[in-house]
Amino acid sequence: MRYSVLFMVIALIAAACIAGCTQQQAQQPSPASGGEIKIGVIASLTGPASNVGKNMWQSAQIAGDEINAQGGVQLGASGTKVPVRLIVGDDESTQQGGQKAATKLITDDKVDILVGGYSSAVTSAYQQTIAEYKVPYIVTGASSPVITHRTDIDTSYVFHHCPTTDSYGEYTTTFIDQVVRPAVNKKLGASDDRPFRLALIYQDTAYGKGVQTAVQNTIAKNNLNIVLVSEQGYRMGESDFRTPLTVIKAENPDAVYLGAFPNEGAPIITQARRDIGLDTIFLNVENNDNAQFYKDLGQYGEGAIIESRFSPYTAPVGALATAQENFKNSYSAKWGMYPDMMGASTYEGIYIAAEAVGKAGTTDKASVHQALVDLTMPEVIEAMKGGTISFTKDYRESRFDLWMEQLAYDPNAGECRPHIVWPDNLKVTEFTLPSWYKPGSA
Amino acid sequence: MVDIGILLQILFWGIYAGCIYILLATGLNLIFGVMKIVNFAHGEFLMIGAYITATIFLISGINPYVIILLAMLALIGIGAVVERLCFRPILGTGKLNEIFLSIGLIYIFQNGAAMVWGDEWQSVKSPYEGIAVPFGPLNLPLDYIIIMVLTAAILALLFLFLQKTRIGREMRATSQNRKGAMLVGINVERMDVLSFGIGCALAAAAGTLWVVSGQVFNPYMGSIPAVKAFAIIILGGLGSIPGAIIGGLLYGIAENAAAYFLGGVWKDAISFIILIVVLVFRPTGLFGESGE
Repeated sequence: MRYSVLFMVIALIAAACIAGCTQQQAQQPSPASGGEIKIGVIASLTGPASNVGKNMWQSAQIAGDEINAQGGVQLGASGTKVPVRLIVGDDESTQQGGQKAATKLITDDKVDILVGGYSSAVTSAYQQTIAEYKVPYIVTGASSPVITHRTDIDTSYVFHHCPTTDSYGEYTTTFIDQVVRPAVNKKLGASDDRPFRLALIYQDTAYGKGVQTAVQNTIAKNNLNIVLVSEQGYRMGESDFRTPLTVIKAENPDAVYLGAFPNEGAPIITQARRDIGLDTIFLNVENNDNAQFYKDLGQYGEGAIIESRFSPYTAPVGALATAQENFKNSYSAKWGMYPDMMGASTYEGIYIAAEAVGKAGTTDKASVHQALVDLTMPEVIEAMKGGTISFTKDYRESRFDLWMEQLAYDPNAGECRPHIVWPDNLKVTEFTLPSWYKPGSA
Repeated sequence: MVDIGILLQILFWGIYAGCIYILLATGLNLIFGVMKIVNFAHGEFLMIGAYITATIFLISGINPYVIILLAMLALIGIGAVVERLCFRPILGTGKLNEIFLSIGLIYIFQNGAAMVWGDEWQSVKSPYEGIAVPFGPLNLPLDYIIIMVLTAAILALLFLFLQKTRIGREMRATSQNRKGAMLVGINVERMDVLSFGIGCALAAAAGTLWVVSGQVFNPYMGSIPAVKAFAIIILGGLGSIPGAIIGGLLYGIAENAAAYFLGGVWKDAISFIILIVVLVFRPTGLFGESGE
């Protein structure tokens, strides 16, 4: 019996090790011949983040098709046009999978440049390989600032084309302070010095902790009248949030901010409102602004907030509205669904990669890297600060214009739909507290 | 000061989680008890049960608590086929063969499910969502009460089957001594296929209850619950069905207590800490017998 138990324990440990490595391999084209620009796209085609990952890969293909339909990328001033070829690497939503995907794309497929990366934890895991081979990498999904701020390895070839947890964490906390807090005080008839009771529930990874840190820092830096009454972490991929939500409810929060992926955020809100009776405002990170999230939320999304820069169901009025609409139409015509935000930035990432190689006039990685450092190009489909895409000199981060959406239930769609409520120059309606909203109390 | 109302609520969530674990682990232990095989693909039967329930529910609108019967019947059939085609040919050829076969089955079932249903996260809504039953300081959602009652009913039926029916007694005899069972004329291969089918049906029941509780699911959802189910049967004692029940309940409560007292990131780790502690003091598990 002792041997049976020992054997089972060993087998159990072995199974635990392989549990995360059981996803299908992505279809990959054969190795390239010359005369083309090979762009590797790292996306989570399988595993917990596959919903977002597929959107990223499919969006990349839309961009690749468009570039090739224009004859390809013009290399320098010579006028020679070469097509782009996209090669996908499935990171399987795991660190091991990410390492495999990056290594294969770099050493086997010999890509000229990389685009993609969603989970910050996964992306961080293979950055050593990026540094070792010095392949320019435009990260379009992983939002932890650690991606370009870390000092333990060389990150100089990594360029960040999505808002970081620092930037959108600060933006959302400012929204809470300037919009949600006054609305709650008004409902309560309380004075402005009443501390706003905010709770956090976050994925215990670089991404989720980044959101947590950004909120804490913003409150401290700006001396905001916001108190963090509960901070609950959970393991990535978790599906049962009832206990941390019970703890949060006991602290009577005025609102709950989620540092979660869409497959976690929708169950958190649903379980909170349906099972726990936590009738409050839920604020979500931008990566949740995708069609599946709205579908999974159903009516429970009513009143929730999403910080956003690209939505399947709305766009700020302006010059980019048409560009976004064209992208959405191309995407839905090819794939039969809506693109999401990570798809939008990956779509742009392909254009940025093409622009950099074009400016460099070569696929030499050092030259492409320098072209990215010096890059200034017009915004593509998402609103950028100053209307141009460029990377900061310190941490190689592009700067986005963000907005906040509030969800309202649409009986015709049977789902919620977003409406921009902040900032003032973009909003189409006012932020409101739903009739069922229960403010917190000390 | 710890609020007793919160502790009771967390206990309730722990019992709910334990119900899923109990059904999964009991099925696994039934299979191990009779066939002595290691099947790491057991979580995939939970996943298939979840998809069958969700698919029938979305197409027909039949109450998902009724669909649990259909899912269990379907998994009895699937389990019988898997046992006959996959496990029976390698029975007795060594544990490594069983392990690698079951790992292969994980890939086949996961990729097959992804082909049929896609690999997006999905969820369905129970017809009873939003209905709660007041219970002292708590407001207990009706769905979870039904889940607990159904789990108890399934276990009671399993107990009656094993204790009161001829086939059940033959199954227990096979579990206790396979050669002895053969000598007295029991068709042990029939017992194998039956135990495998029933074990898979219990996993399907767990999958159904997972779905109706509103938890998200996708083709890869089964891997972690399967690993936990193995930990539970080792904790409870290999081959011991009472051990699987107590172990499953203990794990469900411990995980939620850990999430409350230590934080959500300890939720999975606590299961294996308990396992290690129990094995140090009682290597046969809580209800295991040294002679088995």
